[in-house]
Amino acid sequence: MISILSVKNSIPFLANSLTHTTRRYSKKVAKLCSESDLAKDDGKAHTARDQLKNFGKYVAECIPKYIEKVQITNSSELEVLVDPDGLKCVISFLKDHHSAQFESLVDLTALDIPSRPHRFELVYNLLSFRYNSRIRVKTYTDELTPVDSVTGLYKSADWLEREVWDMYGVFFANHPDLRRILTDYGFEGHPFRKDFPLSGYVELRYDDEKKRVVCEPVELAQEFRQFDLSAPWEQFSKYKSKQEAAENSKAEKNVK
Amino acid sequence: MAGVSKITTGLTGLAVAAKPHHTLGVLYSKILRTLQKMPQDAAYRRHTEIIINERAQILKSNSDIEVVENQIGCGQIEEVIVQAENELILARKMLNWKPWEPLLREAPPNQWAWPPAQAKN
Repeated sequence: MISILSVKNSIPFLANSLTHTTRRYSKKVAKLCSESDLAKDDGKAHTARDQLKNFGKYVAECIPKYIEKVQITNSSELEVLVDPDGLKCVISFLKDHHSAQFESLVDLTALDIPSRPHRFELVYNLLSFRYNSRIRVKTYTDELTPVDSVTGLYKSADWLEREVWDMYGVFFANHPDLRRILTDYGFEGHPFRKDFPLSGYVELRYDDEKKRVVCEPVELAQEFRQFDLSAPWEQFSKYKSKQEAAENSKAEKNVK
Repeated sequence: MAGVSKITTGLTGLAVAAKPHHTLGVLYSKILRTLQKMPQDAAYRRHTEIIINERAQILKSNSDIEVVENQIGCGQIEEVIVQAENELILARKMLNWKPWEPLLREAPPNQWAWPPAQAKN
C-alpha cells in the first residue's frame, strides 16, 4: 500500500475513522468524486487517492466556516476551494497542524476569467515534506478587493505575491514590499489580464538622431487583423451546456 | 535525565533539546488548555486532542527518547517539539478565527464552474 498521509501511528484517524460528523461534511466532497469512487468508499484508505480524499474530508470538517468545496482532480490532486476571508486560516491550519504540516509554499499564481463576478482565481500549491504530499488551495478576488498576504507564514510568498500583483494587479493586504517585480520601471497595466492587448501599449526603440532609447505608443504596421482562435473541431464536448446543444441542433435542422 | 545522548540533530538550525520531556510536557498542557476554550464539538478540537493525548501518553510512559521517537513516528524529538510549538500557535489563532462556525457565505454562482466559458449560461 502506498502511504501518503499516514506515517506509522501518528495520524490513525485519517486512515480508519470516518465518523458521523465527517459524513455530515462529506457532502461537500462527494460532489467531486466520481460515482465509481463513491461506491467503494467504506471509509478506509486503500490507495493514495483514498487517503487524499480522507484528508480532504478531514480539512473540510475542521474548518467548515471557510471551506466552500473540496475536490480531487482526475490525476489525484487534492484541491481545497476557500472563501477569501478564510485564506489565512486555512493555510495556517495546513502549515501548522500536526497531521498536515505543509511547510513549503511551492508556487502561487492566478487566473483571470473576466466572465466571473470575481474575476481572479488565486492558486496556492503547498508541499508537505513530512507526509510526502501536495495540496492546492484556491480562492478568488476581484480588481479592488485585497487578499490577505501569506508572507507571514511563508517567506517564499513575498516574490510570488509581487509577481501576481505585477501580472494581474491583485492587491495583497499586509505585504511588506508590494511593487512590480518582472516589468520595467514605470510600466503601466497588468500584462496577464485578458483585457491587456497582446502588443502592449508602448514600444521601445533606439532613436539614431536623439542617440537614446525612446518610448512611443505602439503602432502596428499592418491593418487591424481579426484573429479567429477557435478550433474547427469541438472541444469540451463533455461540458457542453444543454442550451448550447439545443441551439446547435436547431441550427442543424435549419440547414436541412 | 541521563543527559544529552546525541551531539547534533543533523538538521540546520535545530539544536539538540536538553530536556525534551519537560519542554513537550509544558507545550502539550498549554495546547490542551487552549483547546478547552473551544466548543466541545468543534472538529478541530476533537482531532487535535486525540493527537496530543496520544503523544502525551507515549511521552509519559517512556523515559527513553529513542523509544518515544519511534512510537510517535514523526521524526526526531526536536522536530516533535517544533510541531507542538506550531500547533500551539495555531490553536491560539484558531480561537480568534472560530473555524467551527457554519459556512460564512456561499460561493458566488459559477465561481468554481469549469470550463469557465460555460459559466455564461
